[in-house]
Amino acid sequence: MILNTLSIFLISIGIVFFIGGAVGVLRFPDFYTRMHAAGKGDTCSMLLILTGLSVFQLNDPTLANFLVVGKIFFITLFIMITSPTSTHALIKAGFEEGIKMWKRDETKEDGE
Amino acid sequence: MKILGIITVIITGFLLLQAERDFPDWGDAASPASDNRLSQHYITETINETRVSNMVTAVLADYRGYDTMFETVVIFTAGIAIIGILRVYGPSTKLEHPEPTLDTEKPDLIIETTCRLLIPIIQLFALYVIAHGHYSPGGGFQGGVIFGAAFILLALARDLQTAQKWVPENRVLNLAAIGIFIYAGHGVLSLIFGENFLDYSILTKVLPGDAIDARYHSMLGVEIGVAFTVTAIMFSIYSNLASNGKMEEGI
Repeated sequence: MILNTLSIFLISIGIVFFIGGAVGVLRFPDFYTRMHAAGKGDTCSMLLILTGLSVFQLNDPTLANFLVVGKIFFITLFIMITSPTSTHALIKAGFEEGIKMWKRDETKEDGE
Repeated sequence: MKILGIITVIITGFLLLQAERDFPDWGDAASPASDNRLSQHYITETINETRVSNMVTAVLADYRGYDTMFETVVIFTAGIAIIGILRVYGPSTKLEHPEPTLDTEKPDLIIETTCRLLIPIIQLFALYVIAHGHYSPGGGFQGGVIFGAAFILLALARDLQTAQKWVPENRVLNLAAIGIFIYAGHGVLSLIFGENFLDYSILTKVLPGDAIDARYHSMLGVEIGVAFTVTAIMFSIYSNLASNGKMEEGI
């Protein structure tokens, strides 16, 4: 029961972060801030959702379920390493290509 | 013109939805796919005849070996066609890049470290997927794609030359050909021993164990062959596309 509640709590928080990331990608003004929203939101929400799923698996503590938890842990680890790196690589590539950063006074001209 | 398109889409969609009603229900035991002797034979006899618990692999690599062999040939042909169309031999022309604002000569520390950490794991996982196709989802095609992706990641993180040091162009093509050679070799070997093409059970003369073990081990053999071809062609397609066929400077 308490594990179920914890799992539901973690997954709900994760979904909130996901929505935040999606809204950020749509609403932020330039490439860098959008990548910031996508990278952080995705990583954090994936970690929370996967942790929630592994907590849910622990409801029935058998060996097979512990193996599933172990696999989820490795997926979490993988995402924790790769997702920030890919965000970093994309932003660095954008910076080297000379994409302009957003400044406050430019917004009125764009009309966004 | 736009209205014509919409009308066409609506009519086609209506027809598709009408036709969809004739499909058997999901998991229907009386559907044509599961209601014939062949499927029943695969479902009940695969484990006895080949000792492979994943019957998809058994059907793919043993019962329908011809099909899979020529699928591999199709991938090989696709790779050759892409090389034939894209590959350019001639004086080198550098791709034009805007002036970099950062020092790009040094490889980036974060990307470098992550790739050092991940590429061996990806390659190990690819080998696992290839070898574990008998028991779980996986096999030569999937494992080969993962293995090729490891090289593509190396080429993306550093540059194409670094990846080319490990898999130069001629070695890639050799690997692709070796893969098909391994697969067809299993068939030709069974022909030589006096059985049908790709009938692995006769290979017990060269492989350890009885006839069932021979089928089991030959399946692993042909999966490895498939993996060779798929890995090589994956990387070849990437490197040709990424460097405009010049194989000098990738993205």
